[in-house]
Amino acid sequence: MPASGDFEPFVPAGLASLGIEFDEVDLAVMQATHELYWPAVAGLLELDFSAVEPELAADFSRAPEPN
Amino acid sequence: MSLLDRPLAEQAAALAAGEADGLELLDETLARIEERNEAVNAVVATFPEHSREMLDAAPEGPMRGVPVVIKDEWPLPWRAERFGAAELFTATAPGESGPYRALRDAGAVIVGVANMHEWGSSSTGNASVYGPAHNPWNLERCPGGSSSGPAAAVGSRMVGGAVGADGIGSIRYPAAYCGLTGLKPTFGRSAMQGHHMRGTTMIVSGPLCADAAGCRLLGSALYGEQLPRGEASGLRIGIVRGPIAEDCAPLVASACEDAIEALRDETGGTVQEVEIPGLELSGLAAVLIGTSEGLGDISPSKLNSMSKEIGPINRALVKYRMLMPGSVLARAEVIRTMMRRSLATAFADVDVIAWPSVPAVAPPLEEPLVELPSGTVTVDAVNPRGGGLANLIGIPAVSVPVGFDGGLPIGLQLQGAWGSDALLLDAAEAIERATERRFVDALSPVAGGAGAPT
Repeated sequence: MPASGDFEPFVPAGLASLGIEFDEVDLAVMQATHELYWPAVAGLLELDFSAVEPELAADFSRAPEPN
Repeated sequence: MSLLDRPLAEQAAALAAGEADGLELLDETLARIEERNEAVNAVVATFPEHSREMLDAAPEGPMRGVPVVIKDEWPLPWRAERFGAAELFTATAPGESGPYRALRDAGAVIVGVANMHEWGSSSTGNASVYGPAHNPWNLERCPGGSSSGPAAAVGSRMVGGAVGADGIGSIRYPAAYCGLTGLKPTFGRSAMQGHHMRGTTMIVSGPLCADAAGCRLLGSALYGEQLPRGEASGLRIGIVRGPIAEDCAPLVASACEDAIEALRDETGGTVQEVEIPGLELSGLAAVLIGTSEGLGDISPSKLNSMSKEIGPINRALVKYRMLMPGSVLARAEVIRTMMRRSLATAFADVDVIAWPSVPAVAPPLEEPLVELPSGTVTVDAVNPRGGGLANLIGIPAVSVPVGFDGGLPIGLQLQGAWGSDALLLDAAEAIERATERRFVDALSPVAGGAGAPT
Protein backbone atom coordinates (compact mmCIF):
# COMPACT_ATOMS: atom_id res chain seq x y z
CA MET A 1 0.00 0.00 0.00
CA PRO A 2 1.36 3.43 -0.82
CA ALA A 3 2.39 5.80 1.93
CA SER A 4 -0.02 8.35 0.52
CA GLY A 5 -2.82 6.23 1.92
CA ASP A 6 -4.60 6.00 -1.42
CA PHE A 7 -7.15 3.22 -1.14
CA GLU A 8 -7.81 3.10 -4.85
CA PRO A 9 -6.43 1.45 -6.83
CA PHE A 10 -3.99 -0.37 -4.57
CA VAL A 11 -6.34 -2.35 -2.33
CA PRO A 12 -8.65 -3.70 -5.07
CA ALA A 13 -5.65 -4.40 -7.30
CA GLY A 14 -3.75 -6.05 -4.46
CA LEU A 15 -6.63 -8.32 -3.58
CA ALA A 16 -7.08 -9.20 -7.24
CA SER A 17 -3.39 -9.98 -7.62
CA LEU A 18 -3.65 -12.49 -4.74
CA GLY A 19 -6.78 -13.99 -6.23
CA ILE A 20 -8.92 -12.85 -3.31
CA GLU A 21 -12.52 -12.20 -4.22
CA PHE A 22 -14.28 -9.14 -2.82
CA ASP A 23 -17.51 -7.22 -3.12
CA GLU A 24 -18.75 -3.69 -2.49
CA VAL A 25 -19.41 -4.36 1.19
CA ASP A 26 -15.85 -5.65 1.64
CA LEU A 27 -14.48 -2.54 -0.04
CA ALA A 28 -16.60 -0.19 2.06
CA VAL A 29 -15.43 -1.81 5.32
CA MET A 30 -11.81 -1.89 4.14
CA GLN A 31 -11.89 1.74 3.06
CA ALA A 32 -13.29 2.91 6.39
CA THR A 33 -10.61 0.90 8.21
CA HIS A 34 -7.92 2.11 5.89
CA GLU A 35 -8.83 5.74 6.47
CA LEU A 36 -8.80 5.17 10.24
CA TYR A 37 -5.56 3.23 10.58
CA TRP A 38 -3.43 3.91 7.54
CA PRO A 39 -2.15 7.35 8.58
CA ALA A 40 -0.68 5.81 11.74
CA VAL A 41 0.74 2.87 9.79
CA ALA A 42 2.29 5.21 7.24
CA GLY A 43 3.75 7.24 10.08
CA LEU A 44 5.29 4.10 11.48
CA LEU A 45 7.12 3.55 8.21
CA GLU A 46 8.77 6.95 8.56
CA LEU A 47 10.19 6.40 12.05
CA ASP A 48 13.88 5.74 12.55
CA PHE A 49 14.42 2.69 14.74
CA SER A 50 18.08 2.21 13.89
CA ALA A 51 19.13 2.78 17.52
CA VAL A 52 16.95 -0.06 18.83
CA GLU A 53 19.08 -3.12 19.50
CA PRO A 54 17.28 -6.35 18.58
CA GLU A 55 16.23 -8.71 21.35
CA LEU A 56 17.49 -12.12 20.32
CA ALA A 57 15.38 -15.15 21.26
CA ALA A 58 12.90 -12.99 23.16
CA ASP A 59 11.02 -14.79 25.94
CA PHE A 60 7.78 -12.90 26.51
CA SER A 61 7.27 -14.54 29.89
CA ARG A 62 10.31 -12.72 31.25
CA ALA A 63 11.87 -9.29 31.29
CA PRO A 64 14.30 -8.68 28.43
CA GLU A 65 17.96 -9.39 29.01
CA PRO A 66 20.03 -6.23 29.46
CA ASN A 67 21.68 -4.97 26.27
CA MET B 1 -28.83 -14.58 49.85
CA SER B 2 -28.02 -17.45 47.53
CA LEU B 3 -24.47 -18.78 47.56
CA LEU B 4 -24.43 -17.97 43.84
CA ASP B 5 -24.60 -14.29 44.75
CA ARG B 6 -21.43 -14.60 46.82
CA PRO B 7 -17.96 -14.22 45.30
CA LEU B 8 -16.18 -17.27 43.91
CA ALA B 9 -13.80 -17.77 46.85
CA GLU B 10 -16.71 -17.74 49.30
CA GLN B 11 -18.48 -20.36 47.20
CA ALA B 12 -15.37 -22.53 47.31
CA ALA B 13 -14.98 -22.04 51.07
CA ALA B 14 -18.60 -22.92 51.77
CA LEU B 15 -18.31 -26.12 49.73
CA ALA B 16 -15.02 -27.07 51.39
CA ALA B 17 -16.51 -26.52 54.84
CA GLY B 18 -19.50 -28.69 54.05
CA GLU B 19 -21.83 -25.72 54.43
CA ALA B 20 -23.09 -26.17 50.88
CA ASP B 21 -23.75 -29.17 48.67
CA GLY B 22 -22.09 -29.35 45.28
CA LEU B 23 -25.01 -30.99 43.52
CA GLU B 24 -27.48 -28.48 44.91
CA LEU B 25 -25.21 -25.62 43.83
CA LEU B 26 -24.85 -27.10 40.36
CA ASP B 27 -28.59 -27.48 39.95
CA GLU B 28 -29.14 -23.95 41.23
CA THR B 29 -26.54 -22.65 38.77
CA LEU B 30 -28.18 -24.38 35.83
CA ALA B 31 -31.58 -23.04 36.89
CA ARG B 32 -30.15 -19.55 37.19
CA ILE B 33 -28.61 -19.75 33.72
CA GLU B 34 -32.01 -20.81 32.43
CA GLU B 35 -33.60 -17.86 34.21
CA ARG B 36 -31.14 -15.06 33.42
CA ASN B 37 -29.38 -16.00 30.21
CA GLU B 38 -32.16 -14.94 27.87
CA ALA B 39 -31.49 -11.32 28.83
CA VAL B 40 -27.71 -11.32 28.37
CA ASN B 41 -26.94 -14.23 26.00
CA ALA B 42 -23.77 -14.98 27.95
CA VAL B 43 -23.87 -18.78 27.94
CA VAL B 44 -24.16 -20.50 24.57
CA ALA B 45 -24.10 -24.13 25.67
CA THR B 46 -24.81 -26.10 28.82
CA PHE B 47 -24.32 -29.86 29.26
CA PRO B 48 -25.77 -30.95 32.60
CA GLU B 49 -24.70 -34.58 32.25
CA HIS B 50 -21.07 -33.68 31.68
CA SER B 51 -21.19 -31.14 34.51
CA ARG B 52 -22.56 -33.75 36.88
CA GLU B 53 -19.85 -36.17 35.77
CA MET B 54 -17.21 -33.54 36.52
CA LEU B 55 -18.75 -32.99 39.94
CA ASP B 56 -18.88 -36.71 40.69
CA ALA B 57 -15.23 -37.12 39.70
CA ALA B 58 -13.98 -33.86 41.23
CA PRO B 59 -10.75 -34.31 43.22
CA GLU B 60 -10.09 -32.66 46.58
CA GLY B 61 -8.88 -29.51 44.86
CA PRO B 62 -9.22 -25.87 45.91
CA MET B 63 -12.27 -25.42 43.64
CA ARG B 64 -14.01 -28.70 44.35
CA GLY B 65 -17.61 -28.41 43.20
CA VAL B 66 -17.39 -24.73 42.20
CA PRO B 67 -19.35 -23.97 39.01
CA VAL B 68 -17.59 -21.94 36.30
CA VAL B 69 -18.02 -21.20 32.61
CA ILE B 70 -15.33 -21.14 29.94
CA LYS B 71 -15.08 -18.96 26.87
CA ASP B 72 -15.83 -20.57 23.48
CA GLU B 73 -12.11 -20.47 22.73
CA TRP B 74 -10.94 -23.95 23.81
CA PRO B 75 -12.19 -27.45 23.16
CA LEU B 76 -13.80 -29.56 25.85
CA PRO B 77 -13.81 -33.37 25.71
CA TRP B 78 -17.42 -33.26 24.58
CA ARG B 79 -17.45 -30.08 22.47
CA ALA B 80 -15.23 -28.34 19.89
CA GLU B 81 -14.74 -24.62 20.25
CA ARG B 82 -16.32 -22.28 17.69
CA PHE B 83 -14.54 -19.03 18.58
CA GLY B 84 -17.88 -17.23 18.34
CA ALA B 85 -17.93 -17.84 14.61
CA ALA B 86 -19.59 -19.92 11.94
CA GLU B 87 -16.17 -20.97 10.67
CA LEU B 88 -12.52 -21.11 11.66
CA PHE B 89 -9.66 -21.46 9.21
CA THR B 90 -8.20 -24.36 11.18
CA ALA B 91 -9.86 -27.64 12.06
CA THR B 92 -11.32 -28.00 15.54
CA ALA B 93 -12.43 -31.05 17.45
CA PRO B 94 -13.47 -31.97 20.98
CA GLY B 95 -10.54 -32.59 23.29
CA GLU B 96 -8.87 -31.97 26.63
CA SER B 97 -7.56 -28.41 26.42
CA GLY B 98 -5.17 -26.98 28.97
CA PRO B 99 -7.80 -24.83 30.68
CA TYR B 100 -10.18 -27.81 30.85
CA ARG B 101 -7.53 -29.93 32.55
CA ALA B 102 -6.61 -27.11 34.92
CA LEU B 103 -10.23 -26.66 35.97
CA ARG B 104 -10.83 -30.40 36.29
CA ASP B 105 -7.69 -30.92 38.36
CA ALA B 106 -8.71 -28.08 40.70
CA GLY B 107 -12.09 -29.74 41.20
CA ALA B 108 -14.10 -27.08 39.38
CA VAL B 109 -17.26 -27.93 37.48
CA ILE B 110 -17.69 -26.49 33.99
CA VAL B 111 -21.37 -25.64 33.64
CA GLY B 112 -21.34 -23.89 30.31
CA VAL B 113 -19.52 -22.39 27.36
CA ALA B 114 -19.56 -18.61 27.25
CA ASN B 115 -20.19 -16.37 24.25
CA MET B 116 -17.42 -14.31 22.66
CA HIS B 117 -16.95 -11.77 19.90
CA GLU B 118 -16.62 -13.45 16.52
CA TRP B 119 -12.97 -14.56 16.04
CA GLY B 120 -12.08 -12.57 19.15
CA SER B 121 -11.70 -9.55 16.95
CA SER B 122 -13.27 -6.68 18.89
CA SER B 123 -13.43 -5.04 22.30
CA THR B 124 -17.23 -4.74 22.01
CA GLY B 125 -18.75 -8.23 22.02
CA ASN B 126 -21.49 -7.02 19.68
CA ALA B 127 -21.03 -9.69 16.98
CA SER B 128 -21.10 -13.45 17.37
CA VAL B 129 -22.52 -16.45 15.58
CA TYR B 130 -24.68 -16.88 18.69
CA GLY B 131 -25.84 -13.25 18.62
CA PRO B 132 -24.30 -10.53 20.78
CA ALA B 133 -23.96 -10.82 24.52
CA HIS B 134 -25.46 -7.94 26.53
CA ASN B 135 -24.11 -5.91 29.40
CA PRO B 136 -25.90 -6.88 32.64
CA TRP B 137 -25.74 -3.27 33.83
CA ASN B 138 -27.60 -2.05 30.73
CA LEU B 139 -28.82 -4.51 28.15
CA GLU B 140 -28.45 -1.99 25.33
CA ARG B 141 -24.73 -1.64 26.02
CA CYS B 142 -21.74 -3.72 24.98
CA PRO B 143 -20.47 -6.24 27.51
CA GLY B 144 -16.96 -5.82 26.10
CA GLY B 145 -14.91 -8.24 24.07
CA SER B 146 -13.76 -10.47 23.15
CA SER B 147 -14.57 -12.30 26.44
CA SER B 148 -18.13 -10.98 26.30
CA GLY B 149 -19.89 -14.07 27.60
CA PRO B 150 -17.58 -14.74 30.55
CA ALA B 151 -18.06 -11.15 31.74
CA ALA B 152 -21.82 -11.10 31.19
CA ALA B 153 -22.18 -14.46 32.96
CA VAL B 154 -20.30 -13.33 36.08
CA GLY B 155 -21.86 -9.87 35.96
CA SER B 156 -25.29 -11.56 36.01
CA ARG B 157 -24.13 -13.82 38.87
CA MET B 158 -24.94 -16.97 36.94
CA VAL B 159 -21.51 -18.14 38.08
CA GLY B 160 -18.86 -16.73 40.37
CA GLY B 161 -16.01 -17.13 37.91
CA ALA B 162 -15.28 -17.54 34.24
CA VAL B 163 -12.26 -18.37 32.11
CA GLY B 164 -11.60 -15.82 29.42
CA ALA B 165 -8.78 -15.12 27.01
CA ASP B 166 -6.82 -11.92 26.50
CA GLY B 167 -4.98 -11.22 23.24
CA ILE B 168 -5.33 -7.43 23.06
CA GLY B 169 -7.16 -6.60 26.28
CA SER B 170 -9.92 -9.17 25.80
CA ILE B 171 -10.29 -9.96 29.51
CA ARG B 172 -9.72 -6.45 30.81
CA TYR B 173 -12.15 -4.57 28.53
CA PRO B 174 -15.17 -6.74 29.44
CA ALA B 175 -14.12 -6.79 33.10
CA ALA B 176 -14.16 -2.99 33.07
CA TYR B 177 -17.44 -2.73 31.17
CA CYS B 178 -19.23 -5.24 33.42
CA GLY B 179 -17.82 -4.14 36.80
CA LEU B 180 -15.59 -7.18 37.37
CA THR B 181 -12.03 -7.98 38.28
CA GLY B 182 -10.18 -9.51 35.32
CA LEU B 183 -6.60 -10.76 35.31
CA LYS B 184 -4.42 -10.99 32.22
CA PRO B 185 -1.55 -13.26 33.34
CA THR B 186 2.10 -12.93 32.46
CA PHE B 187 2.54 -14.52 29.03
CA GLY B 188 2.99 -18.27 29.20
CA ARG B 189 2.02 -18.75 32.85
CA SER B 190 -1.61 -19.85 32.42
CA ALA B 191 -2.92 -22.94 30.67
CA MET B 192 -3.28 -22.47 26.91
CA GLN B 193 -2.88 -25.94 25.39
CA GLY B 194 -5.44 -26.71 22.74
CA HIS B 195 -5.90 -23.11 21.64
CA HIS B 196 -6.30 -23.10 17.89
CA MET B 197 -3.81 -20.23 17.48
CA ARG B 198 -0.92 -22.44 18.48
CA GLY B 199 1.89 -20.03 17.85
CA THR B 200 0.45 -16.98 19.56
CA THR B 201 2.83 -14.67 21.37
CA MET B 202 -0.02 -12.48 22.63
CA ILE B 203 -2.97 -14.53 23.93
CA VAL B 204 -3.29 -15.92 27.47
CA SER B 205 -6.11 -17.52 29.41
CA GLY B 206 -7.21 -15.78 32.57
CA PRO B 207 -9.97 -15.37 35.15
CA LEU B 208 -12.91 -12.96 35.35
CA CYS B 209 -14.55 -12.81 38.78
CA ALA B 210 -16.32 -10.32 40.99
CA ASP B 211 -13.22 -9.70 43.08
CA ALA B 212 -9.51 -10.27 43.37
CA ALA B 213 -9.86 -13.25 45.71
CA GLY B 214 -11.85 -15.02 43.03
CA CYS B 215 -9.21 -14.23 40.43
CA ARG B 216 -6.53 -15.54 42.79
CA LEU B 217 -8.42 -18.82 43.23
CA LEU B 218 -9.35 -19.36 39.58
CA GLY B 219 -6.04 -17.92 38.40
CA SER B 220 -4.12 -20.34 40.61
CA ALA B 221 -6.02 -23.20 38.98
CA LEU B 222 -5.13 -21.93 35.50
CA TYR B 223 -1.49 -21.34 36.48
CA GLY B 224 -1.19 -24.74 38.15
CA GLU B 225 0.43 -23.06 41.14
CA GLN B 226 -0.78 -20.98 44.05
CA LEU B 227 -0.70 -17.22 43.61
CA PRO B 228 0.38 -16.19 47.13
CA ARG B 229 -1.36 -13.43 49.04
CA GLY B 230 0.66 -10.43 50.19
CA GLU B 231 0.04 -6.94 51.45
CA ALA B 232 1.39 -4.69 48.69
CA SER B 233 2.89 -2.57 51.48
CA GLY B 234 4.67 0.55 50.35
CA LEU B 235 3.43 0.08 46.81
CA ARG B 236 5.22 2.28 44.30
CA ILE B 237 2.54 3.34 41.82
CA GLY B 238 3.50 4.76 38.45
CA ILE B 239 1.24 7.00 36.41
CA VAL B 240 1.68 8.42 32.93
CA ARG B 241 0.71 11.61 31.17
CA GLY B 242 -0.76 11.70 27.70
CA PRO B 243 -3.82 10.32 25.91
CA ILE B 244 -3.91 6.96 27.71
CA ALA B 245 -4.55 8.67 31.04
CA GLU B 246 -6.03 11.96 29.90
CA ASP B 247 -8.11 11.42 26.74
CA CYS B 248 -10.85 9.79 28.79
CA ALA B 249 -14.43 10.56 29.79
CA PRO B 250 -14.14 12.98 32.73
CA LEU B 251 -15.78 10.68 35.29
CA VAL B 252 -13.59 7.78 34.20
CA ALA B 253 -10.46 9.87 34.64
CA SER B 254 -11.50 11.19 38.04
CA ALA B 255 -12.62 7.78 39.36
CA CYS B 256 -9.28 6.28 38.36
CA GLU B 257 -7.36 9.15 39.95
CA ASP B 258 -9.36 8.69 43.15
CA ALA B 259 -8.68 4.95 43.15
CA ILE B 260 -4.95 5.51 42.64
CA GLU B 261 -4.89 7.86 45.63
CA ALA B 262 -6.88 5.34 47.67
CA LEU B 263 -4.45 2.58 46.69
CA ARG B 264 -1.52 4.75 47.72
CA ASP B 265 -3.08 5.53 51.08
CA GLU B 266 -4.15 1.94 51.75
CA THR B 267 -0.69 0.55 51.06
CA GLY B 268 1.32 3.41 52.51
CA GLY B 269 2.80 3.75 49.08
CA THR B 270 3.83 6.46 46.67
CA VAL B 271 2.66 7.79 43.33
CA GLN B 272 5.14 9.01 40.77
CA GLU B 273 5.02 9.90 37.11
CA VAL B 274 6.92 7.59 34.81
CA GLU B 275 8.23 8.22 31.32
CA ILE B 276 7.70 5.37 28.87
CA PRO B 277 9.35 6.21 25.56
CA GLY B 278 7.31 4.94 22.62
CA LEU B 279 4.17 4.24 24.69
CA GLU B 280 1.95 5.95 22.12
CA LEU B 281 3.01 3.31 19.56
CA SER B 282 2.23 0.26 21.70
CA GLY B 283 -1.46 -0.04 20.83
CA LEU B 284 -0.83 0.07 17.10
CA ALA B 285 1.99 -2.46 17.37
CA ALA B 286 -0.19 -4.78 19.44
CA VAL B 287 -3.00 -4.61 16.89
CA LEU B 288 -0.64 -5.19 13.97
CA ILE B 289 0.99 -8.23 15.58
CA GLY B 290 -2.17 -9.59 17.19
CA THR B 291 -4.18 -9.48 13.98
CA SER B 292 -1.42 -11.00 11.86
CA GLU B 293 -0.57 -14.04 14.01
CA GLY B 294 -3.37 -16.14 12.56
CA LEU B 295 -2.72 -15.26 8.93
CA GLY B 296 -0.42 -18.22 8.43
CA ASP B 297 -3.45 -20.48 8.40
CA ILE B 298 -5.27 -18.46 5.75
CA SER B 299 -5.05 -18.72 1.97
CA PRO B 300 -6.88 -16.93 -0.82
CA SER B 301 -8.83 -20.08 -1.59
CA LYS B 302 -9.94 -20.35 2.03
CA LEU B 303 -11.03 -16.72 1.96
CA ASN B 304 -12.94 -17.23 -1.27
CA SER B 305 -14.88 -20.13 0.22
CA MET B 306 -15.42 -18.46 3.60
CA SER B 307 -18.82 -19.04 5.18
CA LYS B 308 -21.40 -16.40 4.31
CA GLU B 309 -22.33 -16.43 7.99
CA ILE B 310 -19.10 -14.66 8.95
CA GLY B 311 -19.95 -11.06 9.76
CA PRO B 312 -19.25 -8.38 7.12
CA ILE B 313 -16.57 -6.62 9.18
CA ASN B 314 -14.50 -9.73 9.79
CA ARG B 315 -15.00 -10.90 6.20
CA ALA B 316 -13.53 -7.67 4.92
CA LEU B 317 -10.78 -7.15 7.49
CA VAL B 318 -9.26 -10.60 7.15
CA LYS B 319 -8.86 -9.89 3.43
CA TYR B 320 -7.45 -6.42 4.07
CA ARG B 321 -4.84 -7.84 6.45
CA MET B 322 -3.50 -10.07 3.69
CA LEU B 323 -2.17 -6.87 2.09
CA MET B 324 -0.30 -5.52 5.12
CA PRO B 325 3.34 -4.97 4.11
CA GLY B 326 5.97 -7.03 5.85
CA SER B 327 7.91 -3.85 6.58
CA VAL B 328 5.06 -2.66 8.78
CA LEU B 329 4.96 -5.88 10.77
CA ALA B 330 8.74 -5.81 11.14
CA ARG B 331 8.49 -2.33 12.60
CA ALA B 332 5.77 -3.45 14.98
CA GLU B 333 8.22 -6.05 16.28
CA VAL B 334 10.85 -3.35 16.76
CA ILE B 335 8.35 -1.34 18.80
CA ARG B 336 7.76 -4.48 20.85
CA THR B 337 11.48 -4.73 21.63
CA MET B 338 11.63 -1.03 22.44
CA MET B 339 8.62 -1.27 24.76
CA ARG B 340 9.96 -4.32 26.57
CA ARG B 341 13.11 -2.40 27.37
CA SER B 342 11.20 0.78 28.28
CA LEU B 343 8.98 -1.10 30.73
CA ALA B 344 11.84 -3.10 32.22
CA THR B 345 13.46 0.24 33.02
CA ALA B 346 10.23 1.71 34.39
CA PHE B 347 9.64 -1.28 36.67
CA ALA B 348 12.96 -0.61 38.37
CA ASP B 349 11.33 2.49 39.84
CA VAL B 350 7.70 1.45 40.32
CA ASP B 351 5.83 -1.74 41.22
CA VAL B 352 2.69 -1.07 39.20
CA ILE B 353 1.66 1.32 36.45
CA ALA B 354 -1.95 2.49 36.59
CA TRP B 355 -4.27 3.98 34.00
CA PRO B 356 -7.94 3.54 33.00
CA SER B 357 -8.72 0.07 31.61
CA VAL B 358 -10.85 1.75 28.92
CA PRO B 359 -11.29 5.47 28.29
CA ALA B 360 -15.08 5.43 28.66
CA VAL B 361 -17.82 3.15 29.97
CA ALA B 362 -19.57 0.55 27.85
CA PRO B 363 -20.81 1.96 24.52
CA PRO B 364 -24.13 1.13 22.85
CA LEU B 365 -24.31 -2.28 21.19
CA GLU B 366 -25.78 -0.85 18.02
CA GLU B 367 -23.16 1.83 17.56
CA PRO B 368 -20.09 1.34 19.75
CA LEU B 369 -18.86 4.91 19.82
CA VAL B 370 -17.58 6.88 22.81
CA GLU B 371 -17.20 10.60 23.37
CA LEU B 372 -13.72 11.58 24.48
CA PRO B 373 -12.03 14.97 24.80
CA SER B 374 -10.40 14.25 21.42
CA GLY B 375 -13.73 13.56 19.74
CA THR B 376 -16.25 10.81 19.11
CA VAL B 377 -14.52 7.57 18.17
CA THR B 378 -15.19 3.88 17.75
CA VAL B 379 -14.04 2.01 20.84
CA ASP B 380 -11.92 -0.45 18.87
CA ALA B 381 -9.80 2.47 17.73
CA VAL B 382 -9.02 3.68 21.26
CA ASN B 383 -9.23 0.70 23.63
CA PRO B 384 -5.99 -0.94 22.42
CA ARG B 385 -4.01 2.18 23.16
CA GLY B 386 -4.16 1.31 26.88
CA GLY B 387 -4.93 -2.39 26.61
CA GLY B 388 -2.42 -3.57 24.03
CA LEU B 389 0.81 -2.98 25.91
CA ALA B 390 0.52 -5.91 28.32
CA ASN B 391 -0.02 -8.37 25.45
CA LEU B 392 2.66 -6.80 23.32
CA ILE B 393 5.41 -7.25 25.90
CA GLY B 394 4.11 -10.12 28.04
CA ILE B 395 3.49 -8.39 31.39
CA PRO B 396 0.52 -9.13 33.67
CA ALA B 397 -2.34 -6.69 34.13
CA VAL B 398 -5.58 -6.53 36.07
CA SER B 399 -8.72 -4.45 35.67
CA VAL B 400 -10.36 -3.45 38.95
CA PRO B 401 -13.82 -1.86 39.33
CA VAL B 402 -13.46 1.62 40.81
CA GLY B 403 -16.66 3.55 40.11
CA PHE B 404 -19.64 4.24 37.90
CA ASP B 405 -20.55 6.72 35.19
CA GLY B 406 -24.19 6.92 34.19
CA GLY B 407 -24.93 3.63 35.91
CA LEU B 408 -22.15 1.80 34.07
CA PRO B 409 -18.95 0.46 35.69
CA ILE B 410 -15.50 2.06 35.46
CA GLY B 411 -12.29 0.00 35.52
CA LEU B 412 -8.76 0.88 36.58
CA GLN B 413 -5.93 -1.11 35.03
CA LEU B 414 -2.82 -2.03 37.02
CA GLN B 415 0.16 -3.46 35.16
CA GLY B 416 3.22 -5.01 36.77
CA ALA B 417 6.56 -6.48 35.85
CA TRP B 418 6.80 -9.98 34.38
CA GLY B 419 5.81 -12.50 37.08
CA SER B 420 4.22 -9.96 39.42
CA ASP B 421 0.73 -11.43 38.91
CA ALA B 422 0.17 -12.05 42.63
CA LEU B 423 1.24 -8.52 43.51
CA LEU B 424 -1.38 -7.12 41.13
CA LEU B 425 -4.06 -9.08 42.96
CA ASP B 426 -2.68 -7.81 46.29
CA ALA B 427 -3.04 -4.28 44.93
CA ALA B 428 -6.56 -5.01 43.67
CA GLU B 429 -7.48 -6.25 47.14
CA ALA B 430 -6.03 -3.08 48.64
CA ILE B 431 -8.37 -1.05 46.40
CA GLU B 432 -11.27 -3.23 47.54
CA ARG B 433 -10.42 -2.51 51.17
CA ALA B 434 -10.00 1.19 50.52
CA THR B 435 -13.39 1.38 48.80
CA GLU B 436 -15.06 -0.91 51.35
CA ARG B 437 -15.87 -3.37 48.50
CA ARG B 438 -18.74 -1.19 47.31
CA PHE B 439 -17.78 -1.59 43.65
CA VAL B 440 -16.90 -5.32 43.62
CA ASP B 441 -19.99 -6.25 45.63
CA ALA B 442 -22.39 -4.10 43.58
CA LEU B 443 -24.99 -6.21 41.81
CA SER B 444 -26.12 -5.39 38.28
CA PRO B 445 -29.84 -5.10 37.53
CA VAL B 446 -29.81 -8.52 35.85
CA ALA B 447 -28.27 -9.93 39.04
CA GLY B 448 -31.03 -8.38 41.11
CA GLY B 449 -29.22 -5.21 42.09
CA ALA B 450 -30.80 -1.80 42.31
CA GLY B 451 -28.22 -0.10 40.10
CA ALA B 452 -24.96 1.69 40.63
CA PRO B 453 -23.99 2.37 44.25
CA THR B 454 -23.49 5.96 45.27
